[in-house]
Amino acid sequence: MKRKGFRFYFKIYCKILAQDLKSKMSYRADFIISTIGMIFTNISGFVSFWILFRNFPQIKGWDYYEMLFLYGFSLISITPVQCFFDNNWSLRQYVYSGDFIKYCFRPINLFFYYQSEVFDVKGLGQLAFGIGTLVYAWIKIGLGFTPLMLLKITVFLLTASLIMIALQNAAAATCFWIQNSFYVLDLAYRFRDYAKYPITIFSPVFRFVFTFVMPIAFIAYYPSLVVLRPDTVPVLSWLSPLIGIAFFYVSYRIWMFGAMKYSGTGS
Amino acid sequence: MRTKKYLTLTRAGILEALQFRLSFLVMVIGNLLYLIVVYYLWKAIYASAGTEVVNGMTFTDTLIYLVLATALFNFMEMYTVWEIGRNIQSGKIVLDLLKPMDYRKYLFWSYSGSFVTQFFLTFLPTFIAVSVVTHGAVPLRMNLLYFVISVVMAVSINYSIDFIVGTICLYTESIWGINIMKQVIVLLLSGATIPLAFFPETLKTVMYYLPFQSIYNAPLSILLNGNPQPRTVLVTLGTQFAWCIAMFVLSKLFWKVSLRQITVNGG
Repeated sequence: MKRKGFRFYFKIYCKILAQDLKSKMSYRADFIISTIGMIFTNISGFVSFWILFRNFPQIKGWDYYEMLFLYGFSLISITPVQCFFDNNWSLRQYVYSGDFIKYCFRPINLFFYYQSEVFDVKGLGQLAFGIGTLVYAWIKIGLGFTPLMLLKITVFLLTASLIMIALQNAAAATCFWIQNSFYVLDLAYRFRDYAKYPITIFSPVFRFVFTFVMPIAFIAYYPSLVVLRPDTVPVLSWLSPLIGIAFFYVSYRIWMFGAMKYSGTGS
Repeated sequence: MRTKKYLTLTRAGILEALQFRLSFLVMVIGNLLYLIVVYYLWKAIYASAGTEVVNGMTFTDTLIYLVLATALFNFMEMYTVWEIGRNIQSGKIVLDLLKPMDYRKYLFWSYSGSFVTQFFLTFLPTFIAVSVVTHGAVPLRMNLLYFVISVVMAVSINYSIDFIVGTICLYTESIWGINIMKQVIVLLLSGATIPLAFFPETLKTVMYYLPFQSIYNAPLSILLNGNPQPRTVLVTLGTQFAWCIAMFVLSKLFWKVSLRQITVNGG
């Protein structure tokens, strides 16, 4: 297969995106209700956060606004997985019904084509919510603002989001091997709720587990330290972009490996 | 003869649930992970609070409450909304409506099998583990009996709410959005994510007037109270009973009215 450039894929993505949005708009009620549902989820997440921490001035050296910063950071970094990789949730059905085979016959990257088919607009509300929270906490902490900081936070947010994408890809790909893989995907989905806590609250054993075994700490904690506490940035924080890329690449290979050995259902 | 048809459905449900052993394992891992996060989070909160008792609850109380809330959630979550919604979209609902059994009853009893499996596989082990780990901090007296009664009513209220929300799908044909809204509201306002005792006073008052606290807060607070005043027990169970009847009637009426709305595309 001839390798195609970035511009080619970008153009195709825009075309598929337009089709997807058009088809979504034909179910307008569903679209509106889903958007409201997403807003509900974010509000309730924030309310629980507020109820939990309003009583306590600080938790293990983390004050309210620092926790809020982490919360906003985690919301933003889990947005790309929501927006661009939502089709992973349907992979299971495509594979079982045999419809997945249609993706195998296109002359473009299989993974790209599959993921590009769905763009989840609901994620944008979450993005706005996350940015609002982050900016509010940023101002309250008084971190100041320089272009370098903006660059840093953008880079680290983007690479942090790769971790969640990687986890979800790998979890979705399990459907090539096992039945009823919904639970695996659901498990990975729940990780995003745990990302918003500083990893220092855990005991050393679980700190290790959440850093190296299930890299939840790289979704928000480590990358956010670069901006939040610039004086004491652990090495792992600086490494987090590399780890994000590595994880994404591995998950991509797993996904493709599963897809390549897929032989259809014969129908 | 009358109960036999229900018990057949229960038996089929048990057999079906036992088919998916792997998903059960994944679910257990997911819950363990959640419990680890909850344990350390609240430990950190209590350590930072400086006092043993926060809002009338000790660390052990809070932990038992939240652990059992999770166990109850697994036990009670019946995915009714998904089931109804999918049946409406696929048109299968027509076949279910033709069955010589009330649809509301049919759906309930086809799930009852997973009640049995979930009770023995998740709730009971969790309950025993919690009692052992906390060295008998869960009082085992008459409150156990009240707890059982309370859970039965909680299941009924939860099912009625699910059924009402599922009926809304007849109008909207949106499942994800409706379901996520329901889930978020129920989990937050029932005290399943944060014990009711931690909520601000005004919010707490509002919540006591809503049906949701009868699902998680009522059974759990009855269980945790070793020497309850007869009045407290009566008020709690009485409130639950009232909601039980109200929601039952409401869900039945709403379904009856809505059934005229039904549009089935093929099937």
